[in-house]
Amino acid sequence: MFLALKEIKYEKLRYGLITFMIFLIAFLIYMLSSLAVGLASENTQAVESWKTQSVVLNKNSNINLAQSVLTSDQVKKSDLGSKEAFVGETPVVVKHKGNSTVSAQFIGLDKDQYIYKNLELTQGKKVIRSHEVVVDKSFANKGYKVGDKISLNGEKTKYKIAGFVNNAKINIAPIVYGELSTWKKIRPLAPNAVASGIISQNSNFKLKSDDVKTYKVKAFIKKLPGYTAQNLTFALMIGFLFVISLIIIAVFLYILTMQKMPNYSVLRAQGIPTKTLVGATISQSLILTFVGSVLALIVMLIMVQVMPSAVPIEFAPWIMASGLIGMIITGVIGGLIPIRSIMKVDPVKAIG
Amino acid sequence: MSVITLKDVSKIYGKGDAQVKALKDINFTAQKGEVVLIVGPSGAGKSTFLTIAGAIQRPTSGTVEIDGQDISNLKSKDANKLRLNKIGFVLQAYNLVPYLTVMQQFKLVDKVKKDNLTKAELSDLLKKLGINKLVKKYPKELSGGQKQRVAIARALYAKPEILLADEPTASLDSERVEEVGKMFQDLARQQDKAILLVTHDMRLEKYADHIYEMLDGKLTKKR
Repeated sequence: MFLALKEIKYEKLRYGLITFMIFLIAFLIYMLSSLAVGLASENTQAVESWKTQSVVLNKNSNINLAQSVLTSDQVKKSDLGSKEAFVGETPVVVKHKGNSTVSAQFIGLDKDQYIYKNLELTQGKKVIRSHEVVVDKSFANKGYKVGDKISLNGEKTKYKIAGFVNNAKINIAPIVYGELSTWKKIRPLAPNAVASGIISQNSNFKLKSDDVKTYKVKAFIKKLPGYTAQNLTFALMIGFLFVISLIIIAVFLYILTMQKMPNYSVLRAQGIPTKTLVGATISQSLILTFVGSVLALIVMLIMVQVMPSAVPIEFAPWIMASGLIGMIITGVIGGLIPIRSIMKVDPVKAIG
Repeated sequence: MSVITLKDVSKIYGKGDAQVKALKDINFTAQKGEVVLIVGPSGAGKSTFLTIAGAIQRPTSGTVEIDGQDISNLKSKDANKLRLNKIGFVLQAYNLVPYLTVMQQFKLVDKVKKDNLTKAELSDLLKKLGINKLVKKYPKELSGGQKQRVAIARALYAKPEILLADEPTASLDSERVEEVGKMFQDLARQQDKAILLVTHDMRLEKYADHIYEMLDGKLTKKR
């Protein structure tokens, strides 16, 4: 550590530049991770807020809630308990004079079932009467207010916003919660349609019908349109960034080590143990990655505060901690690359 | 008492037609309390002799003993330990770490070895070498002569029994050569150290107890 710190202090510009590179990579990793978490959360917020364990859908819906329809025949033998709720989903375009148009998902609920009962309101009242809806709080950021009368899909019928609700996004779209009967009106279907699906907090909930199937929540989320592709893309980018940071640290340290070989020869000739020289190199990579990554973390924290709310970024401490640990491990691995050269330093070269 | 002994030592570099015999059947002893000068032209084998006597490299044949211990086939780690504890080097490259100040050069030794010079002893040594006011300077801020004196102090700081120096006075003016020569002599006499100086500098001749000449890999005693 002694040699590592003294050298960093002496070669401020050189090590400052390496730290800056690590800072940029770490910042990019944090940014992408936060975006990945934010987007994933906007895909699944509602499903998670319902504490979903399983979803019952029509077998032919390709595990897509909005495409699924359950009929009265299919659900007549069902025995929905306090942990199950009917849900009717359909995409809607929300319009209100003076506010921007919003593409949203309408979720029809039964007022006697748990999802409706557990809705967490940030403003307004929960009571959804006919022609009343509660909407995701992101509507408030776009200028919508409690009492505004909105139209859905350009129809003449107006729906009054009764309140705003937390964690109400599915597939990145904000949710408009209303009655199941409203869902049936918006999405004209066969007269015996009951809902899009059943959400259950019980992972083993089953419906006695051949045309429906129960899916575990993981399988359901995985099949949310674009969800898996989006997560894989982010994972790939973050993975590559780690590889790039590993290469940068290793290459820089290798070049620096090569430049220091004459010094190392002299130190070896004087009997300075190899472990001291190896320790100095590993300490250096640790210090550089730690400082660069922590600085990036601080800047990231500031960025999250000033970022517009439209950016789907979420500061997840566990993701940041994983990024930091990942960077430090990468730094140590990068620091190990030049060690072979240090071990092979020939002290004879110190003498003419 | 004999502290360095070389018996029939030869060193061959390369193979086949490219083979070079750098040292040829060298027999040599150095006693504690003596200053020995090895003189000779460039390429005669002086540096090779120094590396073998200092456990930096092994001879091709023959034996090398330090304090009665055969070090001819010592493992790299053990040779390292031996150099750290018993041998001080003053090299032409000044053996200073560029990113450490003069004082930090000594602190580095403290990090890897105990029982070095005390603060008072170090202060005396630095004064004797005229570098006591340079302790906060980095090597690049020093002149060639100053670097050489710091290198000498650095080598002596670890209290070695043997001091091996490669051209230790090359960058010093005559006045400083006298001082350094006298200091080597005092160190040998008063602290019972064996001091081996490989040099072209005949100004050191009067401080030497023995003088050897190295020519084409052969060592001949001159005095």
